[in-house]
Amino acid sequence: MIELKNISKYYNAGGKPNYVLSGLNLEVQKGEFISIMGPSGSGKSTLLNVIGMLDDPSGGEYFFNGDAVHGLKEKQRSQLYKKYIGFVFQAYHLIDELTVYENIETPLLYQDVKSSERKAMVADVLDKFQIVGKKDLFPTQLSGGQQQIVGIARALIARPELLLADEPTGNLNSKQGEEVMELFKKLNAEGVTIIQVTHSEKNAGYASRTIHLLDGRIEKETNV
Amino acid sequence: MITHYIKIAIRNLTRQKGLTLINILGLSIGLACFTLFMLYALNEFNYDRFHKNADNIFRAYRWRQPMNGEDASGDSFMPMPLGPAMKQDLPGVVNFIRMQESWGKSFIKTENNVMRIGVAYADPEFFDVFSFHLLYGNPAQALRGTHSVVLTKATAIKIFGNENAVGKTLQIKTDTEFESFTVNGVCENIPSNSSIKFEILGNYLFLTETESGKRLMNNWHRSAYQTYIQLQPGSSLAYDETTLQNLYNKYHSDDLAEMKKKGKLKGNESPVTYKLQPLRDIHTNTKINGEVDPKNIWILLTIAAGVLLIACINFTTLAIGRSAGRAKEVGIRKVVGGGKKSLVLQFLTEAILLSIISMLIGLLLAQLFLPWFNQLSSSEIAFSFTQFPELTWVLIALTLIVGVIAGSYPAFVLSAFKPIEVLKSKLRLGGSNFFTKSLVTLQFMLSVGLIISTFIILQQLNFMRSKNPGFNKENVIVVDASGMNTKKIYPLFSHALQSHPEVKGVASAELGLGGETGWSSSSFDYKGRHKNVYEYFIDPDYLHVMDIKLLAGRNFDHSISDDTVHSVIVNEAMVRDFGWTLQNAVGQQLTGYGENFNPVVIGVIKDFHFRPFSEKVEPQMFQQFSGYLSFKYFVRIQPGEPSKSITILQNEWQKIAPEFPFKYSFLDQDLDRFYKSEARWAAIVGCAGGISIFLACLGLLGLAALAVINRTKEIGIRKVLGASVTNIVKILSIDFVRLVIIALIIATPVSWYFMNQWLQDFAYRINISWWIFVISGLIAITISVLTVSIHTVKAAVANPVKSLRTE
Repeated sequence: MIELKNISKYYNAGGKPNYVLSGLNLEVQKGEFISIMGPSGSGKSTLLNVIGMLDDPSGGEYFFNGDAVHGLKEKQRSQLYKKYIGFVFQAYHLIDELTVYENIETPLLYQDVKSSERKAMVADVLDKFQIVGKKDLFPTQLSGGQQQIVGIARALIARPELLLADEPTGNLNSKQGEEVMELFKKLNAEGVTIIQVTHSEKNAGYASRTIHLLDGRIEKETNV
Repeated sequence: MITHYIKIAIRNLTRQKGLTLINILGLSIGLACFTLFMLYALNEFNYDRFHKNADNIFRAYRWRQPMNGEDASGDSFMPMPLGPAMKQDLPGVVNFIRMQESWGKSFIKTENNVMRIGVAYADPEFFDVFSFHLLYGNPAQALRGTHSVVLTKATAIKIFGNENAVGKTLQIKTDTEFESFTVNGVCENIPSNSSIKFEILGNYLFLTETESGKRLMNNWHRSAYQTYIQLQPGSSLAYDETTLQNLYNKYHSDDLAEMKKKGKLKGNESPVTYKLQPLRDIHTNTKINGEVDPKNIWILLTIAAGVLLIACINFTTLAIGRSAGRAKEVGIRKVVGGGKKSLVLQFLTEAILLSIISMLIGLLLAQLFLPWFNQLSSSEIAFSFTQFPELTWVLIALTLIVGVIAGSYPAFVLSAFKPIEVLKSKLRLGGSNFFTKSLVTLQFMLSVGLIISTFIILQQLNFMRSKNPGFNKENVIVVDASGMNTKKIYPLFSHALQSHPEVKGVASAELGLGGETGWSSSSFDYKGRHKNVYEYFIDPDYLHVMDIKLLAGRNFDHSISDDTVHSVIVNEAMVRDFGWTLQNAVGQQLTGYGENFNPVVIGVIKDFHFRPFSEKVEPQMFQQFSGYLSFKYFVRIQPGEPSKSITILQNEWQKIAPEFPFKYSFLDQDLDRFYKSEARWAAIVGCAGGISIFLACLGLLGLAALAVINRTKEIGIRKVLGASVTNIVKILSIDFVRLVIIALIIATPVSWYFMNQWLQDFAYRINISWWIFVISGLIAITISVLTVSIHTVKAAVANPVKSLRTE
């Protein structure tokens, strides 16, 4: 599904390139559940952003389902990720001015889904994540765990093939974190490919494969 | 999707109540202001278009080619026989309406009341040609019968109260006596945008039956009437110069022969002709007695657009300043698939929504301030969508344009955010980039420019009002006796006043001095040169009472009867213009002035300003020919409390002329009326200046609030490090003050240039002094510092621990 070849990413700091990713190669198969681990500054989030097409690599090749992402124009790329990729953030990043229902609905608006169909899809997801009762509340009225559930629901509403999660449990207590991980596991079992960045060994354990990053390179991989 | 945009827009607007309020308040004021000015412009440009036949109605005018050094000129006062001659001789003329506008106010007597109301006269087909709707009476019959009149609704109420006035009679003082007229119709009040105005309209045929009317019937040399011509639809007569020229040649063959004799004709071409101007052009064609210069309307609209622009800029700068708060939303929307286009649309929707709300409030404000605006512009505009059907789409278009102008820049800035940067809050959003700064500078440039202009107009106005006009204008009461039997009243009145020590002197003249008092002039050939001279009819006491200085010769003398036949007194300007000197002026004969007599100069007076200071002192000539009517009495009273003198005058008047109301004014106030239009400009520009500086400060208030929010952490750190409150206020204010100073530097030369142009219209004018710019600058800086300090002081005294803890 994903093939990264010799990907590098650097920022200019004081005239010298400062490498965040250097010569990184990675292949992800459909249906995998991958955890990315590593110390601060090792390039975990950057790698995730590159995979999510939110960030351009400075060099290397990126194939998504066989398409050469590095050769696509911005517009085509956004078409691609709009259709195939869902994001979950550590800070949830819900829109404060929208209700739970509306937050979940937003991606569908941008994909020009018809109103009646939208209703059915959102209702489905609300039901699946057992947050029907919360649909008219605003994000600030929810606990962190609930907000993250909404964030995941939003990421999944358009039925993406790939779910990217940047420390999804980072702001949650352990019980809430556990619930999110169980959810991920279930989703993975239903066929969604998941890549998550995490600091927690325990959460990494839910994945089928863990990639350890250090200084922008893959230090080691462990398979469960 | 659009409902989604509107929903989130409303939520955003209600969440940030303070900023929304500033935005809406500013935009509504700007829109209200612009709407009022636009209404004014619409009214001016729509003059006379409400007539059903407007496209086919023309007004006849006389056009003179440039000759004898005079510019080409047109005038629309026509001789009595022109209308009938046009209908008889020319193809395509359906109807003609001659009209005598009301000359001052006439005395109107009913059973128990005397009042002064203007009376106009028009041919009886008036209501067929023009679309003044009759509330009572039959349009075809209303003006039949020489003693029929039609009243406007307001006049009918004024005279007869609320009952139906049709069939009632009233007495109108025509030449010397009261005559009885019957009300045959009542029409709607005259719309504000009508050039044709009347209160009481009589039948023109009444005029033709009076003694003087009979003499004028076939006289092509006395021109006093507007002549309107209704043409057949599609007639090209108005553009057929040859036919119209032939008409002139036919009826003015004697004039042409005269001109030929004097060698004024180039070949056989007449320098004078009749022409037709479309009814719709009458109001704005200043070349032919037009009332309004379209240039002034455009200047007003430009000022109003400037004010609106300032309000729009507030929206833009505040939206950019607020973008930090919106960045996260933009980032998320992009991540979940929102394209740039949909984001731009979303923000534009928000702006347009705001502009719609503001427009609604603005319309309310405009409605509220309309009476005040009417007073300011001395117009009678109504907020009427039926009178101005174009108002609807103009307002809708205005709302959309304002929304797009105000919202487009923030929309494009916000939608260009990179999601990964804003979500990781790497992007530092200060809210004051170069663009914002330029906009704020522009706002203050406009406001300061208007304030400087106001000061200069006020200074010029004050200069003209207070400059010595060359005679003593203080402590003179002017009694208005126009339309009265003044030959009998004046001697009694002046005699009666002699016994009162409060009265220092009394004189009479045909005309008053000052605005709206009229003037008369005559042109004649003096030794082969064309001369134009203002002529004033006065009595021998006039020069003394007015304190006008005699430089040579003598004043008129009561005891020299010859003075009332052919003596004139002239001013220095006339002496210069006629090529005389002070020494030889006395005794000069004014050849060419009268048909059978040549008056002799008996005295020369020092120039005084009988016209406004915008004009140079022109040649002026005083006469006291026995036939003149002294309609104005000048009473010089003791300085001090004038009310006592007024009571005396009033009592004496009651004894002498109890049938006429006592009407008076003060001479200095009459003179101030010369400058009504300058006073109006001062008020309008001043208001615009005040509003724009208010709006600019409103924007500044919002920007200061945002700056404080964005710099909370910095302020906290500085305080912990020991900065004082003054230090911090200074740091926060200096950014804004700098912008105001740049605005000042740019506005100064620009406004100097434009106001210097404006001043060129005045023959006597001020020099623009440097302190005007300093004061305007100080005002702008002070106001802006005070505005900004509302937020900065609050931020500076706040406890730093609080602001740092949030990090």
